[in-house]
Amino acid sequence: MARTSQTRQATAHKVGIKVPDTAFEKVLVILSRYREASIAVVAIVLVVYFQLASNGAFLSPQELSVVLRDTGRFGLIAVAEVMLMITGEIDLSVGSTFSLAPYVMVLITISWGVPLAVSALVGLLLGVLIGAVNGIITVRFRVPSLITTVGTFFLLQGVVVSLYNSQPIVAPVQEPFNEIFGENLYSPTDSIWSWHGLTAFTPFLWTVLVVAAMALVLNRTTFGLHTIATGSNIVGAQEIGVRTDRIKVYNFMIAGAFAAAAGVINTTQFASADPLAGGPFLTLQAIAAAVIGGTSLLGGSGTAIGSLLGAFVVATLNNGLVMIGAQATVSDIYLGAAIVLAMILNVAVDRVRARRRI
Amino acid sequence: MNQKDIPAVNPNTPVILEMSHISKSFGAVTALVDVSINLRQGEVLALVGDNGAGKSTLIKILSGFHRPDSGTITYQGKEMHFGSPRDARAQGIETVYQDLALIDDLSVYHNMFLGREYHKRILGLKLLDNRKMRDLAQTYLNTLGIDIPSVNSTVDLLSGGQRQSVAVARSIYSSPTILVLDEPLAALGVREGAHVLGLIQNLRRQRSVSIILIVHNYNQVFEVCDRINFLHSGEIVLDASTSETSEEELIRIVKSGLGRKAIAAAAAELRARGD
Repeated sequence: MARTSQTRQATAHKVGIKVPDTAFEKVLVILSRYREASIAVVAIVLVVYFQLASNGAFLSPQELSVVLRDTGRFGLIAVAEVMLMITGEIDLSVGSTFSLAPYVMVLITISWGVPLAVSALVGLLLGVLIGAVNGIITVRFRVPSLITTVGTFFLLQGVVVSLYNSQPIVAPVQEPFNEIFGENLYSPTDSIWSWHGLTAFTPFLWTVLVVAAMALVLNRTTFGLHTIATGSNIVGAQEIGVRTDRIKVYNFMIAGAFAAAAGVINTTQFASADPLAGGPFLTLQAIAAAVIGGTSLLGGSGTAIGSLLGAFVVATLNNGLVMIGAQATVSDIYLGAAIVLAMILNVAVDRVRARRRI
Repeated sequence: MNQKDIPAVNPNTPVILEMSHISKSFGAVTALVDVSINLRQGEVLALVGDNGAGKSTLIKILSGFHRPDSGTITYQGKEMHFGSPRDARAQGIETVYQDLALIDDLSVYHNMFLGREYHKRILGLKLLDNRKMRDLAQTYLNTLGIDIPSVNSTVDLLSGGQRQSVAVARSIYSSPTILVLDEPLAALGVREGAHVLGLIQNLRRQRSVSIILIVHNYNQVFEVCDRINFLHSGEIVLDASTSETSEEELIRIVKSGLGRKAIAAAAAELRARGD
């Protein structure tokens, strides 16, 4: 509100700032200001629709557990994609890191009897390393990250299937590691407020914590400020002394780490390491979540909370449609339409932002 | 024009910066050939020359954005090797680039403090002290008489003049030893240009900061500068104090469009005729 009146004031005595005149433009201006809120509205509409269409089954603990676990998986990767997309880069290799890190974790534990907690750490460090390699190739050799990470995607996918004849491996279950990091102990007789009830949602809760942390990093730390500066005006940021290459590499490392963490949680949930657990589809779903969450492809803007809401929308569409009796493949039609619509809206909002510049 | 109320720099004031025999090529393009400039404490030096003469390259070497192929930078008596703009800023060399280096998606106060943010510790976390930066930016801009709608607004909402003012304010906020301004008056209206010129003139009066100024308008050069270095095709062809040369002479040098020797000879001839 305050900003609107400032804008008006500035218009009164200065040239330059365009006052939105059509209703559509007004909506775009509001959207550009309250992006998360508009996605939250979409999410609520979807929930209400599926709740009604499924005769109240959608909001049952069982169904919600499935949806929120998916939200957690997409969201953890999506929030890292958001950070990267703010710097103007993207990571398509996350789908392979998601498969590779837990696969290596399980192989280490089985081969050498190392506790899962330790081998999980090795898996995370592997993700960080993959991110660092992606980042260094991108900034040092000036290869567009779209290409770099398509390359590393295939390379890592090849590595993970050749490690053990592309066989899924049964993962050991070690408590309390498993119940903390994804194993679902909930049964319909349990109270939702018990520890077992809580484990129905652990992947989601971990993601909520991470997203909150990343929102803080983005908005309240020097690293976040420099991440935005890097994507918004890379030359200007360099001129003022922001180490843009380093910022990009760090964000690639975050993406690698989060993809690995999501993979570890997924493997812990199913007590199985599948070399094809991730794949291109997971990468694209995470990017869809980031885009639906309102992140600009131009760089310089995006929100961590938005990525979680976007992940929820993707997970809700996936599961809700199946639940009300649609074919699993039909949900892709809606997801596809949602992505295209979100992109049209994002580009329109970007154009409003650009037009308001002098 | 305003020369009368500002006394000339004492010739005995120490040289604070010496860039010696600087050369720089970008691939097949030679930008600078064996260029040397020096700057005294408190002096305002104008760097003039046609488009593509190498002015921006020279100051981007000083600011640490480019590294020279050869040549040395001696600053406050010590030889410097700036690896990045960060190093140069840490040494008290501030630059306002032609593109202003403002981040459109950040607020005015975040732009003001980009690269030297204030922090506070909350639960052991090093977080941005946004309130402090906001207040300091507001106070400082008020002091300089810079009128912007709000320090909270993102800079993409500001007019060209406001953007330029914010960039200049950012560069002088930290009381630098050397201030480099690359065409600070480009894209400014008459009133806004006069305001920025006033800011420079104020700094000059105090003689506390040495300034390198790139300007295209020769009238303004004589208004605010003590000395002029003329850069042509990557070489310095004239180094004279503003009292020793004239706007007409500069224009004649530009118009001749000749090579180094011819221009130097022409310049010498013109000065001889003047005597």
